[in-house]
Amino acid sequence: MAELRGSSGDAPNHILTRWFGTPDLHTLDVYEAKAGGYKALRKALLDMSPAEITGEVKTSGLRGRGGAGFATGTKWGFINRDAPGPKYVVVNADESEPGTSKDRYILENSPHMLVEGILIAAYAVGANQAWVYIRGEYDEPSRMLTEAIEEARAKGYAGPKPMGKDYPLDIRLYRGHGAYICGEETALLESLEGKRAQPRSRPPFPAVKGAWGRPTLLNNVETLATVPWIINNGGAAYAKLGTDKSPGTRLMSVSGNVRKPGVYEVELGQTFRHVIMELAGGVPEGRNLKVFWPGGSSAPVLPASMLDTKTDMESLAAARSMGGSGGVIVMDDTHCIVKAAHRLLQFYAYESCGKCTPCRIGGDWAVRTYERILAGEGSQVELDTLIRVSDGLQNGRCLCGLGDSAGWVIDSTIRHFREEYEDHALRHECNVGKVPAIA
Amino acid sequence: MSALSSHVLEEIKELPAKYPQPRSAVMPALDLAQEELGHLTPEAMSEVAAALELDPGYVEGVATFYSLFHLAPTGKHRFYVCTNLSCALRGADEIVERVRKQIGVGSSDQVSPDGLFSYEEVECLGACEYAPMMRLDHRYYYDLTAEKVDALVAERRSSSPLTPTLSPEGERERRSSSPLTPALSPEGERGKKPRAPRKKKADG
Amino acid sequence: MPDVNLTIDGKKLTVPAGTLIVEAAKTIGIEIPVFCYHHKLDPVGACRLCLVDFSPGPPRPQTACTTPVSEGMVVRTQSAMAVQARADILEFELANHPLDCPVCDKGGECPLQDFTFRHGYPTSRIDGPRLHFKKPIPLSDKIALDRERCVLCYRCTRYYDEVAWEQELTTDERGVQSFITSQFDRPLQSIFSGNIIDLCPVGALTSRVWRFESRPWDMSHSETICSRCSVGCSVTQWQRRGQLVRVTSRENDDIDEGWICDRGRFDYTDVNDPSRVRTPTIAGRKSTWADAISLVAARIKGRGAKLGISLAQDVTNEEAFLFRRLLDGPLKGAKVKMHGRTAIPAPAAPTMRIREIDDARVIIVVASDIENDVPIIDLRVKKAVSKRGAKLIVVYPEGVDLDRHPHTVHIRNAKGAAAAEVRKLAAHDLLTDPGGPVAILFGDGHGSEDMNELAAACGALAEQVGGKEMPLYRATNERGALAAGVAGWDKLDGVEAILSWGPPPTAGIPRSAKFIAAWDHLPRPGYESAVVLPAATFAERQGSYTNVEGTVQFLRPPIPVQPPLKEGWELLCELGAALGLKLDYPGIFPIQRELASKVPALASLAQPPSPDPAPPPVLVGPAHP
Repeated sequence: MAELRGSSGDAPNHILTRWFGTPDLHTLDVYEAKAGGYKALRKALLDMSPAEITGEVKTSGLRGRGGAGFATGTKWGFINRDAPGPKYVVVNADESEPGTSKDRYILENSPHMLVEGILIAAYAVGANQAWVYIRGEYDEPSRMLTEAIEEARAKGYAGPKPMGKDYPLDIRLYRGHGAYICGEETALLESLEGKRAQPRSRPPFPAVKGAWGRPTLLNNVETLATVPWIINNGGAAYAKLGTDKSPGTRLMSVSGNVRKPGVYEVELGQTFRHVIMELAGGVPEGRNLKVFWPGGSSAPVLPASMLDTKTDMESLAAARSMGGSGGVIVMDDTHCIVKAAHRLLQFYAYESCGKCTPCRIGGDWAVRTYERILAGEGSQVELDTLIRVSDGLQNGRCLCGLGDSAGWVIDSTIRHFREEYEDHALRHECNVGKVPAIA
Repeated sequence: MSALSSHVLEEIKELPAKYPQPRSAVMPALDLAQEELGHLTPEAMSEVAAALELDPGYVEGVATFYSLFHLAPTGKHRFYVCTNLSCALRGADEIVERVRKQIGVGSSDQVSPDGLFSYEEVECLGACEYAPMMRLDHRYYYDLTAEKVDALVAERRSSSPLTPTLSPEGERERRSSSPLTPALSPEGERGKKPRAPRKKKADG
Repeated sequence: MPDVNLTIDGKKLTVPAGTLIVEAAKTIGIEIPVFCYHHKLDPVGACRLCLVDFSPGPPRPQTACTTPVSEGMVVRTQSAMAVQARADILEFELANHPLDCPVCDKGGECPLQDFTFRHGYPTSRIDGPRLHFKKPIPLSDKIALDRERCVLCYRCTRYYDEVAWEQELTTDERGVQSFITSQFDRPLQSIFSGNIIDLCPVGALTSRVWRFESRPWDMSHSETICSRCSVGCSVTQWQRRGQLVRVTSRENDDIDEGWICDRGRFDYTDVNDPSRVRTPTIAGRKSTWADAISLVAARIKGRGAKLGISLAQDVTNEEAFLFRRLLDGPLKGAKVKMHGRTAIPAPAAPTMRIREIDDARVIIVVASDIENDVPIIDLRVKKAVSKRGAKLIVVYPEGVDLDRHPHTVHIRNAKGAAAAEVRKLAAHDLLTDPGGPVAILFGDGHGSEDMNELAAACGALAEQVGGKEMPLYRATNERGALAAGVAGWDKLDGVEAILSWGPPPTAGIPRSAKFIAAWDHLPRPGYESAVVLPAATFAERQGSYTNVEGTVQFLRPPIPVQPPLKEGWELLCELGAALGLKLDYPGIFPIQRELASKVPALASLAQPPSPDPAPPPVLVGPAHP
């Protein structure tokens, strides 16, 4: 039996993962019987108005868990429920941010939690049809989600009259086919429309003109999976956890050089020291922690000295990083930061959609420059080129965040590990292992 | 003599009605075509285009954009090995080496001489807590070691059904729900097509 | 919506609401460089070259091509950030761009060159290998693609998709590996393919017909009208050393909106054909004009109905008028056949104008494959449908390119039964409450329809649904010839002698007939015993055409007629004299004035040609940041 790697069981901060590990939790019967499933949907459909539902989500202060951290309730409020014509809920299950596996964790452990959240959201914003855009590589999670939707339909929780309510609700899947850029909202919508996935210029925003030209609510898997708890327990209860501006908990995938990699549910405001050293067991014996990416590879890195940075969005912003996808990648001092940055730039260059000039050209230019540096052919010119490319990728130059993220990799690794870069570029040597350990 | 079977073409023709706009059918249609043929040939893409009443150029543009669409032969089994950061930090490069060696190719644009295997270094597959890991035959395989790679390759070479001891980690054995019944399958979704039974080894 | 007041670089201006910042800046002579933006395509904000600062607004720069102006907006195009952003983007574009200027046909009229000079860094920081592609790639026998020069502005693929409704040109791969390609490397088929040459801001898409031919500053050009079909698109014709070396589009929003079809763009090389006839010949022997004209007169005089006159589709209004006078006089009774004509009778009343298609709520296209008959009108219809929400009904026996739109209603009539289908249309769902004007475009089904029936049916439908009609004449100057009364449709049976004005007809010539005289620019089989008078081509002759909607447009040839060539009207006057008819016109203007006074449809000929359009303002940016 595959082991659960991450949070499960009863704990004050286990809002999402409380019942994970229960046998057959992925079936509707067990989800209902053991985990209190579909109570929230019943309450939302039969006892609440759409405005009340959105109000609870606003009160909760829940922020998007996909990467941007936008206030979820506010986003729901952008959809004009009374505008004529169809509206859609689109669920971003494209999870491709390096270091991130939390949505997969949810889909494999409790797909019904997501189904319930989607149905509530659709009702709240006036949509009848939800589409889950799920990455093509997630064969197993797709199957499980498909089954869960089937069970919900069979039980009458989705369909023409869900739970007897005269408001049709349905969920369909749309498989991605291998493109990280589809994690970007408007690129996802383009892909859903059967096109090459290139982001759109905004405005107009998806709430006004989204999927197939219709008003659309786009939310991440984890964000929607949190909704049933909020409806069951109230937004105020959710807001009690976490910090003022980053309430609640989030799932953080911890991976890389840690003894206990896993998907851990963390109350926002906890430190990264707690997450990495306590929950994930710290780095292997005989090594020292060197650097970590706090929110997927797109979040600017933090060195070991900043391990006490807190996990809420404001603290991360103050540390010149971001919460991002919550994917924590930990690297110890046996690995070279320049090589790591190179590998990440290869990722961004490969995944660049090619629409806007700076990302298309800059990503590739950075990769080639890293190659020269790592081949011992570097000089100050190459370092200047990296900085120049990094500047050219940030601050609104690019059409979407992919370019900014590539820029941040270069920018933050040079900022915190300048010496290592200079070792490579100027002295043509690699001194991995000599970075001082944490105190 | 068309590249795609009439059964697949029929399925493709039914796709546009299932989406709010017909162009959305392009990706699932290409998926069906690739499932049948192993990879997308120009003929297959033209047939998909004709079945959807689109220009072949449009279909070509979509097919070449996405990494999971293959326009060159891939062999029967393709090893998608993640070498992004989390997996790289846990030895993914060695796993790639091992795969290359065991299947007998030098680079990812080659198919093994027996036509069975190819590989690709891919980006994050969303299973970082099980690094190093890979995707093979629509499944994830976790906590890879050289031995596991050897076993996976050998198993497919012998084309015997998977034995329990070699079941990949992460296989949902604990799942007891029955496979999708046709009546309940959402139309157009993957999973409704029955898998062809595996051939039994001749000498048992 | 009221106009908007804003400030750009300290200058106050007022523009209509909805104007994009990049367009607003143009009105006061400020250049914001753009690659992906084109005023006829939906803005995408892809190239990022037009980044500007504006407040109130987000803290980061935004693209001027996707942002409409707002009241009180303050835009800065010269802030440190904007200046640097533009220079950075240009540097990125140049990172892989090959150093091809010396051999690139775009040089001298290249926005990349101009913008780099005006907005880019003065020195290059690029070293190291550039991305390479195999080049040039023939996209068709007329267009070449150079992928290394391509800046991936996507204007070409967007044009193809948005304007022409085709996707044979596509982008493959993604990221820096992206490249433009024709589907499966097959040659481009579309009649609209050539516009991508004009659209491309760099030398990636070039004309193979004009390859390595000349530099822009070596040519002189003239703003004139295309002669290939009845639409009469505005074009610019370029000449060098007396040769017509290329044809490019010229924007006329009333008719073509800046697009031309491949016939107009590429079918001009016959003008430069070395075997052009340049002196009059009689049965192959060189002769003088005097001898040739008097022999022609002798041969055609008094033949009555035994003389057939074949008129080229691009006979000018002036030539048509002179033919009318000849046919009323010494050539009375001759049979006249005009090339490429439709069977549509002359219009009884003013017809719909092309620009009115924009406002139609329902467009009905009957008995015509407009993509091939009147191509640029086809594009206008497509625009009305995809960008302005018009509904489309097609009545035609076979599939047409308009079927590509999922909501096109296509009624496939049996050949000859179009009128019957049209009569049923008033009851159609889309026409019970069209919500605005209805445009009815009708052709002649290439002779398969009874035009009296069809014209009557269309007229009746127009009345019933509040529609306007546009009969789709096909020949270049069909309407002008109809107005002058020389658009013959006669069969040439019984004809013994043929005078061919322009290229001879390919069909419908009885075996008994012989070509006795021709006014043509190339030798043809059948002319062996004829008197051949050398013709001035469309690139040389003066005159005017009346286009499909009835607008009279004047030709402005880039190449003046040089002796021994004569203008057509001049020749007809001399021929008239030789036939005993005094056609005494000292120049073309008197002909035009007389024609204007005699034929109401051509009244605008009395006005002198409109002055040359004002040259576009030179937009100035800084020399470099």
